[in-house]
Amino acid sequence: MAGLDRDRIIATLLVLSLSGIVAGCAASASGKYFGLTTPPSENVLRYISGAEPESLDPALPNGQPEARILMALYDGLIEYHPATMESIPGIAESWEVGEGGTEYIFRLRKNAKFSNGEPITAKDFVYTFRRGFKPELASRNASLGYYIKYSEAYNSGHAFVKGTDGKFLLKKDFVDSIVNEAESKALPLAGDSEFHKFLDEPERLTIPTVETDKVKLLDSDPKLKAAVEGKELVPVKAEDIGVEAVDDYTFRIKLYQPAPYFVGLLGHQFFRVVPSSVIEKFGDRWSRPENIVTSGAFKVLAHRPYDELIVVKDPNNWDAANVKLDRIEFYPLDEQTTMLNLYKAGRVDGIYNHTVPGPWFDQIREYKDEYLLHPENATEFYVINVKKAPMDKQKVREAMAIAIDRDAWVKLKKIYKPLVDIIPFGIFPKYEEAREKVYSEELKKQGSSLDEWKARKFNAEKGRKLLTEAGFPVQQSGSGWICPTFPVDDVSILYNTTESNKATAEFIQAQWKQNLGVTIPLKSMEQRTLLPMVNKVEYQGFTRRGWVGDYMDPFTFLYLYYSPQNASATGWWDPKFDRMIDEANSTVDEQLRFEKLARAELYLNQQQVIVPLGVPGTSWMKKPYVKGLYPNPGTLHAWKFVYIERDPAKWDKDVDNILVDKDPVVENQLKVIMASQEEFIKTHQAVKTAAAE
Amino acid sequence: MEETLQITKGTSLWADAWRRLLKNKLAVFGLVVLAFMVVLVSIGPPILQWLTGITPDYIPADGDLLKSFPPSVQHPMGTDEQGRDIFARVLQGGRISLAVGVISTVVSLLVGVSYGAIAGYLGGSIDNFMMRIVDIIYAIPYILIVIVLLSVFGGTNTRVLIAALPAIVAGICILVAGVLLAVNLYRRLFGDGLADGLFNTLKRFAFGALEAAILIALIVAAAYLVSLTGFGSSIAEKYGSVFSLGMSQIFLLFFALGLVSWLTMARVVRGQILSLKNQEFVLAAKATGVSTFGIIFRHLVPNALGPVIVYATLTVPSVMLSEAFLSYLGLGVQAPYASWGSLAADGVKNIAIFPWQLIFPGVTMALTLFSLNFLGDGLRDAIDPQTRKF
Amino acid sequence: MLKFILRRLLLIIPMALVVVTLTWGLIRAAPGTFYDSEKPLPIAIRANIEKKYGLDKPWYQQYWMMLSNVAQGDFGDSLKYQGQSVNEIIKRHLPYSATIGIIAYLLALALGLSAGIIAALKQNSLFDYGAMAVAMLGLSVPNFVFGPILVLIFALGLYVVPPARWGGVSSIILPVITLAAIYAAYIARLTRAGMLEVLRSDYIRTARAKGLDEKTVLLKHALRGGIIPVVSFTGPALAALLAGTVVVERIFSIPGLGKIFIEAVLNRDEPLVLGIVAFLSILVMVFNLLVDISYGFLDPRIRYE
Repeated sequence: MAGLDRDRIIATLLVLSLSGIVAGCAASASGKYFGLTTPPSENVLRYISGAEPESLDPALPNGQPEARILMALYDGLIEYHPATMESIPGIAESWEVGEGGTEYIFRLRKNAKFSNGEPITAKDFVYTFRRGFKPELASRNASLGYYIKYSEAYNSGHAFVKGTDGKFLLKKDFVDSIVNEAESKALPLAGDSEFHKFLDEPERLTIPTVETDKVKLLDSDPKLKAAVEGKELVPVKAEDIGVEAVDDYTFRIKLYQPAPYFVGLLGHQFFRVVPSSVIEKFGDRWSRPENIVTSGAFKVLAHRPYDELIVVKDPNNWDAANVKLDRIEFYPLDEQTTMLNLYKAGRVDGIYNHTVPGPWFDQIREYKDEYLLHPENATEFYVINVKKAPMDKQKVREAMAIAIDRDAWVKLKKIYKPLVDIIPFGIFPKYEEAREKVYSEELKKQGSSLDEWKARKFNAEKGRKLLTEAGFPVQQSGSGWICPTFPVDDVSILYNTTESNKATAEFIQAQWKQNLGVTIPLKSMEQRTLLPMVNKVEYQGFTRRGWVGDYMDPFTFLYLYYSPQNASATGWWDPKFDRMIDEANSTVDEQLRFEKLARAELYLNQQQVIVPLGVPGTSWMKKPYVKGLYPNPGTLHAWKFVYIERDPAKWDKDVDNILVDKDPVVENQLKVIMASQEEFIKTHQAVKTAAAE
Repeated sequence: MEETLQITKGTSLWADAWRRLLKNKLAVFGLVVLAFMVVLVSIGPPILQWLTGITPDYIPADGDLLKSFPPSVQHPMGTDEQGRDIFARVLQGGRISLAVGVISTVVSLLVGVSYGAIAGYLGGSIDNFMMRIVDIIYAIPYILIVIVLLSVFGGTNTRVLIAALPAIVAGICILVAGVLLAVNLYRRLFGDGLADGLFNTLKRFAFGALEAAILIALIVAAAYLVSLTGFGSSIAEKYGSVFSLGMSQIFLLFFALGLVSWLTMARVVRGQILSLKNQEFVLAAKATGVSTFGIIFRHLVPNALGPVIVYATLTVPSVMLSEAFLSYLGLGVQAPYASWGSLAADGVKNIAIFPWQLIFPGVTMALTLFSLNFLGDGLRDAIDPQTRKF
Repeated sequence: MLKFILRRLLLIIPMALVVVTLTWGLIRAAPGTFYDSEKPLPIAIRANIEKKYGLDKPWYQQYWMMLSNVAQGDFGDSLKYQGQSVNEIIKRHLPYSATIGIIAYLLALALGLSAGIIAALKQNSLFDYGAMAVAMLGLSVPNFVFGPILVLIFALGLYVVPPARWGGVSSIILPVITLAAIYAAYIARLTRAGMLEVLRSDYIRTARAKGLDEKTVLLKHALRGGIIPVVSFTGPALAALLAGTVVVERIFSIPGLGKIFIEAVLNRDEPLVLGIVAFLSILVMVFNLLVDISYGFLDPRIRYE
């Protein structure tokens, strides 16, 4: 009896595993394409966008999944170029910057409409910006726009300080800054106004109105305290921030200091225009499917949370004639295996970035017509809590950074390339030129060389030397190393519970054990628990960080380490670094500015407050019949360029070259859109040259 | 005529059960496989390391080896995608899976048996109250408890909090005793009416007041003890090095899983006690003056052990499955440790291209769970062949 | 009997409130907030968020506000999904889980009961051993292994059903089978055991002695008694079904209550967690009550005062 059972059991198990293997082999039998590849019968794109969006109100969410969807629903002043993510005209036909670099004028097209037919004017942009900074809205994106004058003060609930003589205290009298208030002359074609004069005045001082913060600030600065004594506090209102509707189709923005990359920021969903009448009517329920009104190429048809979000072409959109898709179905999924299963079964046409699991890389890479691996505007690194010993010693940090074999790590992660700097390569070609030049000079001054710098990718010998010099001698032990004096209990690698982070943490732990003889304990934590610990810099040792650039300028990576309240989670701050950055950002000449930034980056890098690891590749898939969808550095797509190609002869082949190959359909569309700004620049140049003569 | 007395060897209840068990071929199969597994996972890892130098967390330094290789002579179960030998990991995983199963079951046994026995024996409103608590805890989705537990205690506080556990447990015991006293007090004051004369009433109130004072003092003491993290951290200083961070997390997992299964255990024991407490041997014990505590733990519990053992043997696989489920959600055993469940959960993702990552841990786990279930069935049949209770 | 039912019903709401309190305490004990993200927030923005959600008030005030709202059935809006009330979120996602759960349980009942009964009738036969072995397999293979194997074979190998997502009848076949497996196994074993015990008992012998035919004996007498263990299993089965749907919903990406719940806990979305916990507790309590009532009908020896 028992024998029968046992046989039966074994048989069942065998059958199961056999069928599994057989099915697996069948499933992964390589055809030309990965799974079923037939275009959908309707003119629809089925796209996996990421986790379920928190909200369809563009001012609120700050995640990538939401960004992708919101780009379909809302238009902004500019739009991202589908392949390079440069700024191309959106609702603004043209724009220009004033002489001082702090004033921007946008000229809007006159045929832009919301999905309910109402026209979009400059007043709507003013409303959108003012609303975004409203403290009660508690938008997490507000800090993106802090360059706009007084926006941070308004968002933080600060107040101006008004004396009995009616004069306001000025910021330059109390805060040291090498950024000189650039007074820009009123631009031609944009009228002057009371408000504009107010914005042109030197920046006013603002102080917090919350008692505890106010008292803390005043107590720390006696001069300030004395000056504020007895004066009236006038709260900063929404109407004070530096945005103005000069007329219905002219929109002006005033910054408090130059930000050469500012226009590139405006593609973010926070700055995209929202319908004031609908928001006033419905309050925080305005973005529900039954109430929502949008401004983009697509509008909401149905929203079933966690199931799908269906958007359809909006006939009222100013560019509706050029939008090729009838419908997009966004599927909110975040499990990699499920996504690829759906892709293979032909039920989705495209997936967002970083979705191909590392282990599948070798197999998926074979599908040259569908797998996209291009450089991304992001970096992965380990941050170090530099406040806790022994990581407060620069040599220790450097030792550990250099003792990781990044080439091996890259082989593990498959889609990365090694990085020893702060700013990723392959994204900002002009910056990299500047960096090469500056690094060569500076390193030579220090008696080193660019090659030696690049060798920081891995040098176990040097790592051991550094660690020994730092006071923790590394000794040979058998075929390996030991470092008995290193206080391993005071250091740990903290990571959240995703597999890729786990794999990296385990790898690095093994590397340090093998190369330095120290076994650093691993600590894993659920993301929500981990975040506050990291943000408040209470962790010990190392934790993994990934940073995705917010805009297409190298500063978005250096910004993390700038200012005493910086968000680097390292506990590091250096006024020298801040000064170098301020100097760079107030430089108008682009190449010169890049050189200054490079110097700052080198300085930061040599402090070794982080352990740079690598630059990820985009690593996603789309069916070859989906065109106009490019692996741009941010994986943010302007959906109006996407279309389904039904002629198999024209399907994408060998997508490694997709950013270089020009698609005639997309090029034509781009040409039409970019014409207005290019025209403007040409005429503007002509006017300037004429004026100069 | 001579009469020869045949002296038959006496047997006890347990010896009888053992004999019956051995007759059951399936159960024996289960027992054998289980024993084999236990031996394998205990001595396997060190032997493997001694023979081949392979450890479960060895990640090769050579980048080309950081791949998942199919089974070969070098790696009889293949490697995972970080190049680690799966056989070594399955062995280590077995240690942890079995440990999780056994220890959680022991925790749930200790808590559940005591709780259920007390509730069942004392009966009445205490029983009602205690079972209501069980109902409430049952209604909380346990994953919430586990997630919170693993979050709150999973940080740098782990060592301190584990060391402070004795204080917390003591505090809870005192609190429970306090509650029981409170109920007693209530009964004494309001239970029997005021009909038996002034003197008696006064006496009752006097005793009641005394008990109330003791009760208040106890509650205060409990609160103070629990808040004595100074006490806890001094223990942590002395013995903290025993717990490495990874082990602390596993320890917590034992605790968390054990905390969930005690509920049904309590119910089962209570049921048993309820049916046993009116039997003669209990009356006899009461008549001879055995204390309540003695009756519960020295007379009733041993007699109720039958179903308890069976249930315990069946709890082990269910706890192991729960741990696997938690690992699938990313909350179970953490790196560098692995359990069969976490290995299977990891392997499932790559089932289409690297099926061996799932097959080996999965089959091993299934085989062990099989054996445990067979054993449990066999035990049930052996200990109480007349009962076929759930 | 009626008094018993009434007493139990009255207890449900207070008990649910106790559960909510405990859950609230647990969430508050857990570190982490719902608005933290990898890109940390400037202090002012964090202050704005805290003010908006009343997080700057003392904890007992927050607790009292929460409790008084909850007692009236108002759980407020989800913290993560702005502008959506908890009640509507639950209402929206319940149908997915309920459909799969109910169909799975019915399937498990059908399979398990029939297998168990036949196995009991044909004790020690090939069918008996085979069925019990398969049942054993169902208990030893975790559902997150079984499900993907099914997906591999039927969705990716043969392309007959979708590998994931909700949409159309074909999409629930695999999730239902995955979910039902372990319960079918349990029920089969329980039924077999229950039937075997009953078939040996006195009152069945009496019925047979009375001359009734086998069919009547079975259906009218034995079945009732034999199903009791299955009925008593329904209570814990429901609770376990909830855990099971979490896994199945994750494997097949179905937007059910289980998935929402896990998300809510991981997001520290307090109102949503409290709402789901309260809802599920009430459901479980009502179910347990129904089970206890049905006991009375099935086994005349059990009566409630």
